[in-house]
Amino acid sequence: MKIFQIALGILAAIGGFVDIGDLVFNVSAGATFGYQLLWVIVVGVVGIIVYSEMCGRVATVSGKAVFDAVRERLGFRTGLAALVSAQVVNLMTLTAEIGGVAICLQLLSGLPYRWLIVIAGIVLAVIVWTTSFDWIERIFGYGGLCLLVFAVAAVKLHPAWGAVGHGFVPHVPTQSPLLYAYFAIGLLGAAMTPYEVYFYSSGAIEEQWGPKDLGLNKANAMIGYGLGGFLSFALMIVGGALFLGKGIEPEFLGSIALGAEVPLGQIGLLLALVGIVFAVGGAAIDTLFSGAYNLAQFLGWEWGRYRSNSGAPRFTVTWLVLLVLGLGLVMTGVDPVQLTEYAVIFSAVALPLTYIPILLVANDRSYMREYVNGRLANVLGLFYLVVIVIVALTAVPLLILTNAGQN
Amino acid sequence: MTKTLDLGLQLVDRQLLDSEDRRCGNVDDLALEGGPGERLEVVAILSGPGAWRRRAGLIGRFAAWIGGGRVVRIPWEEVANVSAHVKLRKRAEELGLGRGDDRLRPFIQKIPGAER
Amino acid sequence: MRTFSSFLGRMVETESGRRFGACRDLRASLGHGRPEVQAIVVGRLGWLEHLGIRRPSARPPNAVPWEAVVRIEGDRIVVRDGTELE
Repeated sequence: MKIFQIALGILAAIGGFVDIGDLVFNVSAGATFGYQLLWVIVVGVVGIIVYSEMCGRVATVSGKAVFDAVRERLGFRTGLAALVSAQVVNLMTLTAEIGGVAICLQLLSGLPYRWLIVIAGIVLAVIVWTTSFDWIERIFGYGGLCLLVFAVAAVKLHPAWGAVGHGFVPHVPTQSPLLYAYFAIGLLGAAMTPYEVYFYSSGAIEEQWGPKDLGLNKANAMIGYGLGGFLSFALMIVGGALFLGKGIEPEFLGSIALGAEVPLGQIGLLLALVGIVFAVGGAAIDTLFSGAYNLAQFLGWEWGRYRSNSGAPRFTVTWLVLLVLGLGLVMTGVDPVQLTEYAVIFSAVALPLTYIPILLVANDRSYMREYVNGRLANVLGLFYLVVIVIVALTAVPLLILTNAGQN
Repeated sequence: MTKTLDLGLQLVDRQLLDSEDRRCGNVDDLALEGGPGERLEVVAILSGPGAWRRRAGLIGRFAAWIGGGRVVRIPWEEVANVSAHVKLRKRAEELGLGRGDDRLRPFIQKIPGAER
Repeated sequence: MRTFSSFLGRMVETESGRRFGACRDLRASLGHGRPEVQAIVVGRLGWLEHLGIRRPSARPPNAVPWEAVVRIEGDRIVVRDGTELE
């Protein structure tokens, strides 16, 4: 029975790992640099595994989610700055995700974009309102598994496997180093987006994990995100095999879905679009909840889907308001794919404020008792902290210098 | 049995839990009585947007204004224990906490499925 | 009645002007009654502790005993000459 539960969680994590930021950056990086950035995905995936295991453990043992720790460790003033920046970036990401869902629904149904934004919003709201936390994760996680069609597509496209293998070895590019760096930063930012850890840590409390679930936490983090990283490889390989050197920039989600249609025909296209709808729709809910968790946790309100809608009124109103704001912003006609690029880059800047408190609390014996970080967790944690600070400092300059990857 | 407590590190900014483990605010500031030459002790916990005024300068005053500026004073005698969070002896309503949630709840309950 | 926040940031110095650093925290003893302030934590070392980087048992002296405080005025906390950190 326990194995079954673990398997369920992992499946949900795989489908839940890929959001619109991963889709856009992985395929674009493939279209621009072929397989050369595959190693960066590995770096990003290990990073999110290390930190989600850590914050899952912190939440499980101490009952504190990330934003509780942010306020306690960074103090009120810095914590408030972290909150405001997190909310702004969250809203951008949410808008991009909802727009992405609407685009794919349009490709699937042919209905007008504006109607689909409203329909998507209503469906998301109804699902969140009526469904328990673990079932929300399962629905979108399993649906997101349709994205595995990209793995099949990647193989069927017969990429030069030697070049693919070479891409896993870290190397410096021979040309366009700035653009290469921009994509590297974007890939890392997309893999380690702050809302993912906010959501994962609060999710541990939603699922009411206790110390006996720490093994589940580890498995979820490692296998779930690990296999999710495997999906990212597939996306980059497809992008490289199909679009590199053809001058095709996957600016449209439709182009990304083409990556599955070319080798696999109509069924490939259908699975890709359905997979994107579920993965990105699930990510929209994760982002939505993240925004509500952060505000509630910073202010000390009762929070969580596990408290029922009327059991945490201010939390409930917060996610409803955020959803409406996101829908409104999508209605303005902003391009979701372009917005995603900015959302990922700006989230990258916020990374240190998110990850530093996690590392600090994970080492605090008074909260963690015998579950404090071991040497491995600390070595990896510190290594990634350095990576994150570099990413945060270089993200915006690279965005400007490469003109958002257009160069 | 006494233990040492660094007020800023271990008490301020902690989550408040009431007697039923309901989250009902944070420790935003502390009220102290006494002065030079005599005992200085913590007499109450202060919780609410009004307490932010002094904590973050201009931004704090703005945030306090948006939040409504209320401060709830919880006498120290109401504290059951201090650990990862601060546990209180009474229910939130009895102490004047969690009012925001109580005010919104009737509206939420009008929507079908609110108990889910 | 004073607030905890009103202590933070005030410079702690002796009557003759020797500075210890700004107040970063208040250290209190917690028994069965109200917490009683024992010392004022000063300076940058106190700040590192706040972030949780240094564990309290391993700290070097960084606190001024409360009983050494003579008066609180303006934005300073004045202590007796001859006070040492503990």
